[in-house]
Amino acid sequence: MESNEADISLLVVILDTNPSQKIIRKNAHAMTQCIDAVVAFGNTHLMQKSQNKLAVIACHHSVTEFLYPTAGKLEVRQVDGQYEIFTLVEKTVKHRLAELINSAPRIVQPCESLLAGSISMALAYIARVNRNKSVGMRLSSRILIVTGSNECASQYMTYMNVFFTAQKQGVTIDVCALDKSLSLLQQGTDITGGQYLKLPQLDGVLQYLLWVFLPDHQTRDKLVLPPASKVDYRAACFCHRELIDIGYVCSVCLSIFCKITPICGTCQTVFKNSAPIREKKKRTIK
Amino acid sequence: MTSKSGSILLMKPSNIDCKDLQSYLKTRPPELLEKIYHYPTICLAVYRELPEISRQFVIRILFVEQPVPQAVVASWGSQIFAKEQAIATSCLTELNVWRVAAIPGGLPAWELSSTFSKNLKIALLGGGRPWSMSTFMDGPKPKEVSFLDTYAMSRWRCVLHYMVGAGSNSKIRENEGISPDAVRILLHANLMRRDERDGTPSITRQGFQFLLLNSQAQVWHFMLQYLDTCEERGLNLPECLSMLFQLSFSTLGKDYSSEGMSSGMLTFLQHLREFGLVYQRKRKEGRFYPTRLSLNITNKNAIVPSVGNDDDKVEENGYIVVETNFRVYAYTDSNLQVALLGLFTELLYRFPNLIVGVLTRDSVRQALKGGITAEQIVSYLQQYAHPNMINTESAVKTRSSLPPTVVDQIKLWENERNRFVYTEGVVYNQFLSQADFITLRDYALSINVLVWQSERNRTMVVTKNGHDDVKKFWKRYSKNGG
Repeated sequence: MESNEADISLLVVILDTNPSQKIIRKNAHAMTQCIDAVVAFGNTHLMQKSQNKLAVIACHHSVTEFLYPTAGKLEVRQVDGQYEIFTLVEKTVKHRLAELINSAPRIVQPCESLLAGSISMALAYIARVNRNKSVGMRLSSRILIVTGSNECASQYMTYMNVFFTAQKQGVTIDVCALDKSLSLLQQGTDITGGQYLKLPQLDGVLQYLLWVFLPDHQTRDKLVLPPASKVDYRAACFCHRELIDIGYVCSVCLSIFCKITPICGTCQTVFKNSAPIREKKKRTIK
Repeated sequence: MTSKSGSILLMKPSNIDCKDLQSYLKTRPPELLEKIYHYPTICLAVYRELPEISRQFVIRILFVEQPVPQAVVASWGSQIFAKEQAIATSCLTELNVWRVAAIPGGLPAWELSSTFSKNLKIALLGGGRPWSMSTFMDGPKPKEVSFLDTYAMSRWRCVLHYMVGAGSNSKIRENEGISPDAVRILLHANLMRRDERDGTPSITRQGFQFLLLNSQAQVWHFMLQYLDTCEERGLNLPECLSMLFQLSFSTLGKDYSSEGMSSGMLTFLQHLREFGLVYQRKRKEGRFYPTRLSLNITNKNAIVPSVGNDDDKVEENGYIVVETNFRVYAYTDSNLQVALLGLFTELLYRFPNLIVGVLTRDSVRQALKGGITAEQIVSYLQQYAHPNMINTESAVKTRSSLPPTVVDQIKLWENERNRFVYTEGVVYNQFLSQADFITLRDYALSINVLVWQSERNRTMVVTKNGHDDVKKFWKRYSKNGG
């Protein structure tokens, strides 16, 4: 398997830094804990092989930005026995994050993190790395999302678009849910063949990350990892952005609705109805 | 009747033995391993060289500060890959990374070597002493990466040129001499041998095989040989190893300080400078720059991959085009490269910037006879394949830039030579009568030790193991008067 040795493994970590997450509001130290864990995890990924690559993206409430790598290189001298590249990662991430937090506008009311946007940014980055790689090299890439946000069904369409793009590009999406369980992102991991883990507790987050998310795709087959639980495949309706079990689907554009309407809200098709619509037919969950 | 045995035929030509870091360390005594695990850089290098599964195991128990039952560790791997897992486990044991420990309850458990885990954590998370070569300096003075690359390659080529040109061409030796120390290493590594008559070193069979390796592998092999002899020079082996790996994990184009180094290490640095592993403007200058040769030194793959926004892109060094009609075009003017190609091709024309050769059965067999393997020829051609060959559609699909016909044919030519199956045996001949021969042959046949026989010549060959039995039988038989 010598060809495997030449493969580059790219890991993009998306860290949700939105201050309106419940875990952060409850305990401000949770953020520091998460960042330390993510940096150590990223460095462990770099430690696996010399060819491995890392990128860290922060998804803030107002903006999504790259924490590592950045354009301007920081001058780092190795100080305490740590491998220089690891020091560089740690310093850059913390430096950039401080900048990001200081420059962000004050948050007025809790808002949701636009994770789908961050994923598409990660996919764009992966596509660029893929194009720039030297001939004969193969790139296997994955995205790890670390978030404590709530489910955001309003991003349903964007989520599905990025998931299927990732699937098409052969990018694995892993999700580590810190707080609530997230069924939409879980669907994404299922579609792209990644791992989904909802942390039972925030302590020892690094150990969870190392355990479940460190092995790359080929190695995962050789190890026993938590079995995939049943994936909740409910879709969100296009009218109220709520997750539904059974709904109505437009025969022309396949939009999903929780209530029947005579005209499709997406493509404006007029449905022909021979019989009057009976309200009883409609069944939504919850 | 006489019998004689022959085993000279079974001697295989000795080939170059290229060890990786793992097999090198496995041959070292455990005390030394314990000593070198005190250096975080070595721990990092050892960790990277471990098999994939071992690495996961180590990471999983790195932050667990107590022994972990063996049964638990075994349950981490999937049953289908049990064999791979066994290799991973034994590898960790052999390298002394973990050892068996007893936990209350009598279960056998694994415990990471405390030195190893402590220093691996330092490499990963920091919290230790700074590396010896990163003393604070006033103002960084970075160097151009391309400049360092050219410097490193020109220094390293000197060593290679010396190997090819020594003895035969005195002019080369004047221009591109290398120090007696380097020559001693080449001699020690058996890459060159002193001529019996005039004592000038000349290249050996292993030397040619060495030249066919990629430069990364060459440097590593060379450094291993250097380390073998470093005790004789009064250098401290763990210190040298740690220095080597510090270089291996440094950043290209950045300057490092040699301040506060022991005199042994300064000597070592001067040697590295000679081979092009580090660049130093003046001997006395307190700063030096590691070059690409010393980066990721244990990595056998020639190209240090560069992706994304890295500005240190590797220069394409391919110059060989191989066609399906076995013609080889090499865009080069270097005598070294011409000499190497000449090992296994028949050179047809030579132009100022191009040589044309053809791979023939005779030329390849000539190389095979010299102990070069088909694998080495193919990998050499592959390694220096012209970028245009790598970019073709078929190359991308098959991940090999050479025409499949040529690769297959080279391998077939090698297999051609392996038509003989050597079996050690004892010849019985000069029987006095046909009856004697037939009795003995039938006996040998009945106990399944007969290798070959010819009734007309009254000659038979039995295996070495069967020789005693057949001899005893023959003694009994002839005593009874046949």
